[in-house]
Amino acid sequence: MILLESHSVIINDVLTDRFEKASRADIQFVDYDNVRFHLSTPSSKTQLLLSMGIQCWPDLIKYGAREHLQSEYEGYLLPQDQTEPEYDVSLVIDLEKLPGTTEERSALISKLAHLKSTAMASPFLSAFAEQSTLQANYKEPAGAQQADLAPAGEKGELKIVKYREEEAIYIQASHDRVTIVFSTVFKEETDKVFGRVFLQEFVDARKLNALQNAPQVMYSNREPPLEIRHLPGLKNGEDWGYVTFVLFPRHFANPSQALATINRIQLFRDYLHYHIKCSKAYMHSRMRYRVAEFLKILNRAKPEVATEKKTATGRSFRTR
Amino acid sequence: MSRQPPLVIDNGTGYTKMGFAGNSEPSFVFPTVIATHQSASAGSSNASSGAGGGGRAPPPIASKPGHLASKRGIEDLDFFIGDEAVANSKTYSLHYPIRHGQIENWDHMERFWEQCIFKYLRAEPEDHYVLLTEPPLNPPENRENTAEIMFESFNVQGLYIAVQAVLALAASWTSSKVNERTLTGVVIDSGDGVTHTIPVAEGYVIGSSIKHIPIAGRDITYFVQQLLRDRGESAQIPPEDQLRVAEKIKEDYTYVCQDIVKEFKKYDTDPYKYFARFAGEHSVTGRKYDLDVGYERFLAPEIFFNPEIYSSDFLTPLPEVVDTVIQTSPIDVRRGLYKNIVLSGGSTMFKDFGKRLQRDVKAIVDGRIAGSEERSGSHMKSSGVEVNVISHKRQRYAVWYGGSLMASTPEFYNVSHSRVDYEEYGPSLVRRFSVFGSAV
Repeated sequence: MILLESHSVIINDVLTDRFEKASRADIQFVDYDNVRFHLSTPSSKTQLLLSMGIQCWPDLIKYGAREHLQSEYEGYLLPQDQTEPEYDVSLVIDLEKLPGTTEERSALISKLAHLKSTAMASPFLSAFAEQSTLQANYKEPAGAQQADLAPAGEKGELKIVKYREEEAIYIQASHDRVTIVFSTVFKEETDKVFGRVFLQEFVDARKLNALQNAPQVMYSNREPPLEIRHLPGLKNGEDWGYVTFVLFPRHFANPSQALATINRIQLFRDYLHYHIKCSKAYMHSRMRYRVAEFLKILNRAKPEVATEKKTATGRSFRTR
Repeated sequence: MSRQPPLVIDNGTGYTKMGFAGNSEPSFVFPTVIATHQSASAGSSNASSGAGGGGRAPPPIASKPGHLASKRGIEDLDFFIGDEAVANSKTYSLHYPIRHGQIENWDHMERFWEQCIFKYLRAEPEDHYVLLTEPPLNPPENRENTAEIMFESFNVQGLYIAVQAVLALAASWTSSKVNERTLTGVVIDSGDGVTHTIPVAEGYVIGSSIKHIPIAGRDITYFVQQLLRDRGESAQIPPEDQLRVAEKIKEDYTYVCQDIVKEFKKYDTDPYKYFARFAGEHSVTGRKYDLDVGYERFLAPEIFFNPEIYSSDFLTPLPEVVDTVIQTSPIDVRRGLYKNIVLSGGSTMFKDFGKRLQRDVKAIVDGRIAGSEERSGSHMKSSGVEVNVISHKRQRYAVWYGGSLMASTPEFYNVSHSRVDYEEYGPSLVRRFSVFGSAV
C-alpha cells in the first residue's frame, strides 16, 4: 500500500453490513487528523445516525463546508441545531428508504465513507473557484514577460485550516496557480532525519520523465516559505517542516480530477508520517537480518570444545 | 482537546481483533496473516530462531546508482493482511507471523501492525495509546521487542501489554452474575486450535498450573463431520462443502445436554420433535439438498466432557482438568478460583455449556469434601465450596472486550507505559508488570 485510502473502512464495512440487515449499533472511531466519528442508532434500528467531530470545523465552516456537505449529502444532513452534541456534523440514514439497486447503494456507501474527505475538500474547492475567477479577470500586463511580476492584489484570500493541534494547511489561489503549504512537526529526532530525506526525494523524483506533470513540490526545514512568512505565530525551529505544493489549473481541470487531487493532498501529512514509519520498519528488518548474519559468523567462530578422542577399543591418543 | 480513544489490538494465532476502546465489539476481525511477495521458503525457515532469522533471504535492495527512490523498489510496501491476504494467496505467499500465541516473525508482525493501524483503523499512532495482548508465559524478550516496535517505529503515546486471560476475567464483569469485580479466577479459553485453562490470582497468572487441552473448535467440526459420515447423511453434501456444512451445523444447531442417556432416549421416542433439518445449496451447481441433524446436536460439544468418544489420546474431561488446575494452585486462592470460572472464546458459546461445567465441577468438589468428612470420622463439617461458572454475552471476543473495557477507564493512562518513561528507561520498562489497581 503506497497511498493511503481516502475513505473510512469502518464506515464502509458497517454500512454494508447494516444495509443488508438492520441492527443496533453504537460505535465510536476515529480518522486521521483528530477526526472523531460516532455511528449509532438512537431511536430505532433503522435510523442510523452518523456524526463527525472534526478539529478544524471552525476553519472549514468559514470556507463553506456546510454548504458543500449540504449539496453532497442532500436529504441526509441534519440541520445545525439537530446535530449530535460534541460533534460537528450529523447525518441520518433511514434504512427503510434506501435506493433500490445495488449499484446505487454501494455508491451511497462510498459517498458516506468519504464524509471526512468531503468536509475537508471545501477550502480546496473554494480556492480552485477563486483561481478561475482570478484567471478570468487577469489581464496580461503589457510588455511584461513574467507572470510573477503581477501586483500582490491579484492573490486570493489566504485560507488557513488548522487541521491538527499545532499543524496547519495554508491555501492561496492566484491567477495561474493554487499554492498549498503544509506545516508539520516531528516529535522524534529520527523522524526529522527520515522526513528530510523523504521530502528531498520528492524534489528528485520529479526530475524523472514520467513525473514531469506532477505538481511542483518544495520543502523547507526550519524557515517558513515566503508565501506565509508574514503570518504571526509561525513556528520555526528544528522540529518544523514546511512542504509547498504548487497546483496548476491542469491539476484540477475537471471535477473528477480536482476531487482526486484534493483527496490525495489532504492526506499528505499522514502519507508522510506513514512512510516515515514504513521506512523505519524496513530499516528494522534490514537490521534484524544483519544481526542474524553476524550471529552466524559468531557461532562459526566458537572454539571447538577439546574432548579426548577415543578409539573404538577405548584407548586414546596421546597429545603432544 | 479531548483525548483520542486508545487502540485495542488483540493479535491471536488465528484471528486479529482490533478496534477502539469503549466499543462493545471489535471493528475488525480478520485472520492474522500477511501476504508478501517474498518466496514462501525464505519466510518460513526463520520461524524457530529467536534472534530473528536463520537462513532468510535479505530484504530487497537494488544496486542502481542515483538517488534513493530509484535505488530500491517498494517491495516492502507490497503486501496485504487479513482477508485481503487470503484473497491474494494465489499470487502472493502467505505467512502467519504468530505461532502458538507468540510472535515468531518480527519483520512480518511490524508490517502487519503498520497496515492494521494505517489502513484499517486509520489512526495516527502518535495521538493514541495502544493496548496489546499477550499469551500467558510470554517471554519478557517478546514484550521488549513489542515495546521497541511500538515506541520506536510507531511513536505511540503509551503502551499497555495485557495478558489475555486477565482481560477475559475483566470482560466477565458485564455478566449479571458477577457482583464483585475481582481479578481472581480460572479462565477457560477455547478458540479454534487449542483450549487453555489458566488460573489467575489478583491479576497475576499462576504459570505453573496452566493446562492445555488439545480439543477445541476445529475438533468439534471434525467430529460433526465424522458423525454425519457415519450416518450416511454426508452422501448428499458435495465433498468440498462438507467441512463448511459441519461448521455451520456446529454453530447453529448444537447444545450441551445435562444427561446424555436421557437425551438419547428423548431423541429415540420422538425423533420428529428433536431432529432438525439443514438446508444447503451446492455452491457451484446450485443444487439444493437437505439433511437431518440428529444426535450430533448434543454429541458435538460432549467431547469436552467425554473426550473418549472422539479421541483416544486425550481422555481427561474438561471439568476434571479445571479441578486439577485449581488443586495445583496455591491453597489460599483456591476458593476464589472455584468461585469465578470464566469462559472465553468461540468454542465456549454452546448453549448450557456453563451450566454443565458448573454441575460437573461441583460434583467433583462435593465428592472430595464428602470423602474428607467421612475420613475425619464425621468430626469435621465443611461449610462447602462455592463453584460458579460465568458465561456472558461478550464471550466470543471476551479478550478484546476486556481490553476495550480497561482501556476506557481513566486509570488506564496511569498504568500504561508512557512515551516519556520509555525514553527514560528503554524497552526493559515493559518487564515491569502493572495490574489495574482499582480493579482488585
